[in-house]
Amino acid sequence: MDSAARWTARLEIIAPLTLFACGLWVFVFTPTETEQGFVQKIMYIHVPSVIVTYLAFFVTFALGIAYLWKRLLVFDRIAKVSAEIGLIFCAMVLFSGAIWGRPTWGTYWVWDARLTTTLLLFLIFLGYFLLRLSVQDREKEARFASVLGIVGFLDIPIVHKSVEWWRTLHQPSTLFKVQEGAAKPAMPTELLYPLLASMFAMLLFYGYLLLLRWQMEENQDQLHEELAQGVI
Amino acid sequence: MKTRHKFVIGGAVIFGVLAALSVQGLQEMTVYFYTPQEVLAAPTDFQEKTIRIGALVQPGTVEWDARSIRLAFHITEDSIRSIPVIYEGVKPDMFKEGQGVVVEGRMENGVFEAQQLLVKHSEEYKVDHNQVASKVDYHKSVIQ
Repeated sequence: MDSAARWTARLEIIAPLTLFACGLWVFVFTPTETEQGFVQKIMYIHVPSVIVTYLAFFVTFALGIAYLWKRLLVFDRIAKVSAEIGLIFCAMVLFSGAIWGRPTWGTYWVWDARLTTTLLLFLIFLGYFLLRLSVQDREKEARFASVLGIVGFLDIPIVHKSVEWWRTLHQPSTLFKVQEGAAKPAMPTELLYPLLASMFAMLLFYGYLLLLRWQMEENQDQLHEELAQGVI
Repeated sequence: MKTRHKFVIGGAVIFGVLAALSVQGLQEMTVYFYTPQEVLAAPTDFQEKTIRIGALVQPGTVEWDARSIRLAFHITEDSIRSIPVIYEGVKPDMFKEGQGVVVEGRMENGVFEAQQLLVKHSEEYKVDHNQVASKVDYHKSVIQ
């Protein structure tokens, strides 16, 4: 735990600074996209948030499996806090997408496959926390939540592939676009590099939030245990 | 116990909505729009029904009347067969010739009367390199 606390303290400085540097890069030194204009800058929030959402729910998925296998509550705590962060970033994806959609498409929302499956992902993990709150027994809560976390994650491949499998208003992936048989992003490097940097910065921020919330969760469970045993 | 029940009921409501959404969503979701080919191949199937068609704005067919706020154009996939579209409303900023669009409305006597006009964005991003050069020069001059 000591090293976790040390890393939290480090990331508390590094993550905001990196985010700030990316903001400068994006708004001052990145050229304006030809067709969309300034609205394209929303991408530098939207896409990194997508990456963090994917990763956060993947952590919940992987640690859900680990919990069901080893039955160690530490796995469940990390799964829980990662899902929390994933839910926030998923909301950010939906919100930033809506703001981008209004000037670009002419609407905040459509019920196409990409948007519908993303909303579904958000609702599944909202249900995940309702499920946790509705169970009193800690072990039982961990068991139920692990199962829902594993099943809920399965929506992510569907979200990601939805733009290829079905006809959607949302455009296909720019970053993973396949050109002449090889994956090649469909954007010039002037726009791509700040995007990759923003993704990195957002991942650092995720790391910070995860470590911070995990330690809070450890302390909370320890406190509950000591209260139950009558130590305090 | 009471709060527990509240959460169970709340959860049930959320999952009920979820189920309803996915059933409604699945039908609309898998085919968000038809193509002009599909509509032209079976015109009777699409009569008097609100549908969405996704295609490209055929160059040279756009007529925009700003006074009556009326936009007329043809949509096509192959530039050979097209469907005329009439849209009464403000022309979207991103609307231009050759742009991908999704129109929602009805076929009336061979003309598609659109209630909604959405512009489909492509996954291609571009930068005007003349502008980049000037901007870099500008920042250099600011720094120096």
